[in-house]
Amino acid sequence: MLRLAWRNVWRNRRRSLINAASMAFGLAAIMFGQSLMRSLQSQLVEKSTGSITGQIQIQDPRVEQMKMPDRFIKDPAPIAAAVARDPRVLAGAGRITLTSLISTPQTSVGVLVVAVDPAVQERITDMSRYVSSGRYLSGGKDLYLGDKLARRLDLRLGEKAVIMAQAADGSLGADVFRLVGTFHTASESFDNSIAYVPLPAFQALLGRPGQINNYVLKLKDLDQVDAVRDSLESALKGRPVRVLTWKDIDHEILGVEQFQDAILDVVLVVVFAIVALGILNTQLMSLFERVREFGVLMSIGARPRWILRLILTESALLGAVGVAAGTAVGAALIWHFGRAGLPLPVGQAFSYFLPFPSVIYLRPSWGAHAFACAAVFAIALLSALPPALRAARLKPAEALRHV
Amino acid sequence: MSKPAHAPLVEVRDVEKIYPGGTKVAAVRGVSFSVARGEFTALAGPSGSGKSTLLNVIGTLDRPTKGEVLFEGAPVSRLGADQLADFRLRALGFVFQAYNLVPVLTAVENVEYPLVLQGAGYAERRREALEALRRVGLDKEADRLPDRLSGGQQQRVAVARAIVHRPALVLADEPTANLDSKTGAALLELMEELNREAGVTFLFSSHDPAVLSRARRVVRLADGALAGEETRDA
Ligand SMILES: Nc1ncnc2c1ncn2[C@@H]1O[C@H](COP(=O)(O)OP(=O)(O)OP(=O)(O)O)[C@@H](O)[C@H]1O
Ligand SMILES: [Mg+2]
Repeated sequence: MLRLAWRNVWRNRRRSLINAASMAFGLAAIMFGQSLMRSLQSQLVEKSTGSITGQIQIQDPRVEQMKMPDRFIKDPAPIAAAVARDPRVLAGAGRITLTSLISTPQTSVGVLVVAVDPAVQERITDMSRYVSSGRYLSGGKDLYLGDKLARRLDLRLGEKAVIMAQAADGSLGADVFRLVGTFHTASESFDNSIAYVPLPAFQALLGRPGQINNYVLKLKDLDQVDAVRDSLESALKGRPVRVLTWKDIDHEILGVEQFQDAILDVVLVVVFAIVALGILNTQLMSLFERVREFGVLMSIGARPRWILRLILTESALLGAVGVAAGTAVGAALIWHFGRAGLPLPVGQAFSYFLPFPSVIYLRPSWGAHAFACAAVFAIALLSALPPALRAARLKPAEALRHV
Repeated sequence: MSKPAHAPLVEVRDVEKIYPGGTKVAAVRGVSFSVARGEFTALAGPSGSGKSTLLNVIGTLDRPTKGEVLFEGAPVSRLGADQLADFRLRALGFVFQAYNLVPVLTAVENVEYPLVLQGAGYAERRREALEALRRVGLDKEADRLPDRLSGGQQQRVAVARAIVHRPALVLADEPTANLDSKTGAALLELMEELNREAGVTFLFSSHDPAVLSRARRVVRLADGALAGEETRDA
């Protein structure tokens, strides 16, 4: 049966090849699309969590704007202790993120000050990698600015600027910081409006020694954010804190993901429809040409079910060939663009908000690919079903008359 | 199925076949006759006289509009599709005018197809198929595809396939019509030999006098009705 079906598949070589090729091409395109979308999404998440948001943040529960936490945590020690006990955490550190005013003799600019523990923060977010002049923070009253912001302030390395922000007692706290380095991420919003300073100096400026307004974490595995959030939440139960994942804070990224997934689904359905129609058409054509042969088979005692199985087996084999070829082509495409990278204008669009690469390196996402393979195969089988049923319902005498 | 010893192999009882459609064609009207085991019988008649229709009804490939076909005394015409297929697989062999063979299968694979359907093991069915091919004189061509065989050879392979599972009856609808007279005569000779030596019962149709002259019994059809019958001693 299998041998017969296999030979029948290659009976009209050109037609079967076209059919298998269309399946393979469709599948490869789907795999490429899946990989592109997923790679883009994971880049987006990586860049967003890796540059500013972090993967998990712990904030005061009364904070309304999670990106701008305006409530302070007076005693972060229990948080640090709970975090230190979790082996899934790679690094964690308290931060203050606060809108402030930065002034030079020339001008004053509103900025987002991010006050960090320089050494630990380096392991959580990657801002130290974007140094464009001077160096990253080390301590004291170092100031690390986006290059555009520095230009706007007309501030050069070694020069001083005053940072002013509302202190704990309601007064205006101010202190002098010295520019030790600038960064360039190519992202407008980063390069033009973020200032990094060491945490202790900023705490002193605010009159809030030891306090923070968010505690950021990086995990060993990004996929564990929900699990870690849950266990930290129960570890910190009863304390006035709230554990958030990047999904809570950067929900617009989730929106982008959902949008992309929806597009992908539509493309998937369209490709499936094309593949299905192609198979249906070729199957109908090839069965029509073989009606007499089915009549002969029936006359020598083949049951209708045998004919049905024969045709479905042929489709399954053809589907397997198409899926195998498609997987090979798709994997090759992904592998190629995983090494060479794919220049993507979308990257530039994202980079307004985030340090985002304009070249994307594709990564396979096997779960989704396996689903696509199974779906293409199922389509191949399903679209052979109507013609197969028709063939099985043929009356032997009528089939034999057919030439 | 029980086998009353006295029952003929095939009994056609008052069979009528009307093709439905705009102008209802009565292709066979009220035909009765029977075939005994071991016969070598021809259905004769001009084109359109209903030979193919009658053979199809006898072969359970088509259902009669009226009447009954009995096989070893048991009616078969009203069985379900699966049961009919099983019946044909067990009891009948077919040779058609042309395009008998599955083009992607070699001669021996074509011959063993009925045994595949019967679920025979590879070694057994190969042996039987090669034996059948040897009987039709084509054991050397066993591995050829049908398009590498001449028309006469293809018909011989079809005969081998029709006898490989030792059916009680082989039905052949104009088996020689697509062959030249010499090849046709050789095919008839082969069928005759199988009938004589292996006891295969044949019922075949033709309108060629040369072919009909080889039959031991000729049943004549005209306009769908019986029009006489001749018997000749072997
Ligand atoms: N499927 C069909 N629908 C309608 N009429 C048919 C059909 N098949 C055969 N007929 C008609 O039934 C009659 C008998 O046809 P049949 O094929 O049995 O004759 P035949 O003796 O085998 O002829 P031939 O020698 O040409 O093969 C003819 O008039 C034919 O036109
Ligand atoms: Mg005919």
